[in-house]
Amino acid sequence: MSDPLISLILGFIIVSALMAFFFPDKGLLAIWRRSAKDSKKEALEDALKHVYDCEYNSLSCTIRSIAGHLHTNMDKAAEVSARLESMGLITSNNQKLYLTDEGRSYALRIIRVHRLWEHYLADHSSVKETEWHSEAEIVEHTMTIEEADSLAAKMGNPLIDPHGDPIPTAGLELPELGGVHLNELEKGDIGRIIHLEDEPQAVFSQLIAMGLHNGMQIHIIDKRTDRIIFEANGEENILAPTLAANITVKKIEDQSEILDDFTPLSSLQVGETGIVKGISRALRGQQRRRLMDLGVVPGSKITPELVSRAGNPVAYRIRGASVALRKQHSDLIFVEKGE
Amino acid sequence: MDKNNTDKTEKLLATAQNLRWQVGENFHESLMESIYSDAARIADRAVKVDDVKKKYDWDVKIDKLVTSRTFGFPLMFLLLAAVFWITVEGANVPSGLLASLLVDFLHPVLKDFMLSFSPEWVAGFLIDGAYLSMAWVIAVMLPPMAIFFPVFTLLEDFGYLPRVAFNMDNLFRRAGAHGKQALTMSMGFGCNAAGVVATRVIDSPRERLIAIITNNFSLCNGRWPTQILIASIFIGAALPAHIAGLVSAGAVVFIAVLGILLSLVVSYGLSKTILKGEASAFSLELPPYRPPKIWQTLYTSLIDRTIFVLWRAIVFAIPAGMAIWLSANVMIDGTSIAEHFISWSNPMGLLLGLNGVILLAYIIAIPANEIVIPTVLMLTVLTAGNPELGAGTGVMFELESQSAMAEIFRMGGWTALTGINLMLFSLLHNPCSTTIYTIYKETGSVKWSVIATVLPLIMGLVVCFFTAQLWMLFAN
Repeated sequence: MSDPLISLILGFIIVSALMAFFFPDKGLLAIWRRSAKDSKKEALEDALKHVYDCEYNSLSCTIRSIAGHLHTNMDKAAEVSARLESMGLITSNNQKLYLTDEGRSYALRIIRVHRLWEHYLADHSSVKETEWHSEAEIVEHTMTIEEADSLAAKMGNPLIDPHGDPIPTAGLELPELGGVHLNELEKGDIGRIIHLEDEPQAVFSQLIAMGLHNGMQIHIIDKRTDRIIFEANGEENILAPTLAANITVKKIEDQSEILDDFTPLSSLQVGETGIVKGISRALRGQQRRRLMDLGVVPGSKITPELVSRAGNPVAYRIRGASVALRKQHSDLIFVEKGE
Repeated sequence: MDKNNTDKTEKLLATAQNLRWQVGENFHESLMESIYSDAARIADRAVKVDDVKKKYDWDVKIDKLVTSRTFGFPLMFLLLAAVFWITVEGANVPSGLLASLLVDFLHPVLKDFMLSFSPEWVAGFLIDGAYLSMAWVIAVMLPPMAIFFPVFTLLEDFGYLPRVAFNMDNLFRRAGAHGKQALTMSMGFGCNAAGVVATRVIDSPRERLIAIITNNFSLCNGRWPTQILIASIFIGAALPAHIAGLVSAGAVVFIAVLGILLSLVVSYGLSKTILKGEASAFSLELPPYRPPKIWQTLYTSLIDRTIFVLWRAIVFAIPAGMAIWLSANVMIDGTSIAEHFISWSNPMGLLLGLNGVILLAYIIAIPANEIVIPTVLMLTVLTAGNPELGAGTGVMFELESQSAMAEIFRMGGWTALTGINLMLFSLLHNPCSTTIYTIYKETGSVKWSVIATVLPLIMGLVVCFFTAQLWMLFAN
């Protein structure tokens, strides 16, 4: 037999080599599969999306801005835009690029896939919110519009994506969203977040890290030139106005919609009773439906009944049944302490 | 006319789309809210609640006890240990009876009957192969399952098991799993196929898949006897008599605990890698305690679990028995297929601290872990050229006396390392075909069935290889 020491070393090398190759997500195989996609088509579609964004935001679009958007040099960007032009998707006039009708519907198809996929990830998977956008950036180039349509039908034709952007309809119409940027609200105003811009990624990650999400109630406490102080679901936050521009809110006019108590369910002690006021919008998809199925809806009485040995989960009495919930979820259910 | 209709439809759809935007995304929830409040109002008016306080007090008292810091875990271990003890002790006698009826008595009778009118190979193929394998599986599988499942179901029915899940959830949450995995894992100690079916109680897709894939790390009923036998021959025998029993029992418990730890580690790994994106939701209902319905429980657990699993095992055992018999009896160049394979795979087996016989046994005895040791014994006497020690070429057997079996193992060239690695490999190898088929039925996915099959096998090969090489490095 061979020397055990040599076998050990060989075995170790083989195992690590196989791990490096096959490891999910980070292995060479996964990296190779990611890079093997059609990068030419992707560049074209990304550039087209950029031209569409310019049009949507009434900005002018040039080859330079495409180069910036695609993180590439001017030559490549010129090549891409020439190709788009020859395909009849864009026209150029005086250095500026415009969409043709055909180009607009192509761009809307990509956006429809992108936003539908984000909605799918948010409601039907447990992919983290900071990864929704980057995953959708990959899927938008591979999924056909027919697949997207059947996915949309399965999800009940959702209207908006988890960031609050409207999803283009099957007829490729894009409804107007309305709302104002957070830095346009005045002191004392109350509004609800309807959109969090997911680009640039760094800003979005910061907003997510602050615990902000769609549907949150915002109350402006103070507004100065260099910062905005506001309460989001009862917690105080400070943002620079430039960052606040990434948040779109809708003012709440109807007083009955305003929630003034954000006591989390997890703060109730055994024996205390709460009345459910609402479930945070951060709880989505299956978990949210499950809670509502169990009777966690505004107006229900809820009482912590039994704490597990480690303190988490806690069993609550809801409508005559005893249901255990984990802290990460009971943190996101708002109650009003009663009795 | 047609065009008119399409126009109307389109108009209608456009209006609907428009209205959807006006009512917003949350109208489903508003609807649900109003249904709940209407229902509550009607119920308040129409339903009279009797004074149920007294019964409810009892529930609270039991709950306080089973979730208490001091008594919670000891009580749980005590109850589970009791269930296993009842199973092992209770299964001994009926298992022996079934074995003497089906194997010792009926097998020769059937063989003689077949020999009276058919050639020897037909009798060997059908009776020594197919029948014996089936009889073996029934004798060793049926009694423990017929005891374990009803007792377990009684605990479930009483309402205790959801409290175990409640107490264990914190640990399993950290491993990315569901508290109820504690239950499916315990069920896996009885039978992995049943454990996989039991994951139906986990209503979150991701956590359910995790529980299915890791169930195989629970040392099942078919593997306990292998562990105990090998531990007492290769670990116990090397020690003075007064501590031998304790140490070999300790070794078996170590393997079982290793299985539990690995299932937590693998759960964590799965939830962070390939299962990262699967949908997940948590809630755990704690039903009120109630006296278990004993007869109903007996009936359903016997039909739904015992007979169901046993039937699948039999379906797989019959062809495997045929394959086992053929492998030892079909000759190429005067040597059986089994011997060809064994001499070819022996170097690899030795590299893993096992041998060719063990590798072949794990391949052909895939339907049930229960028949691995009988197959190993048969193949060992076959390759050692002493088939007269066993029950005939291609006929599985087991011996009454442990020392006689130890003798056969030594004849096959086994060392203490072979014993230890067999114990490790018995924990870490692919699930039996019954379990694999059950995983496929439960997940409906080839992908997850393959992963559940290959993952523990690769882990076993890697662990055995490194154990063997380290052993050789330090033993020399």
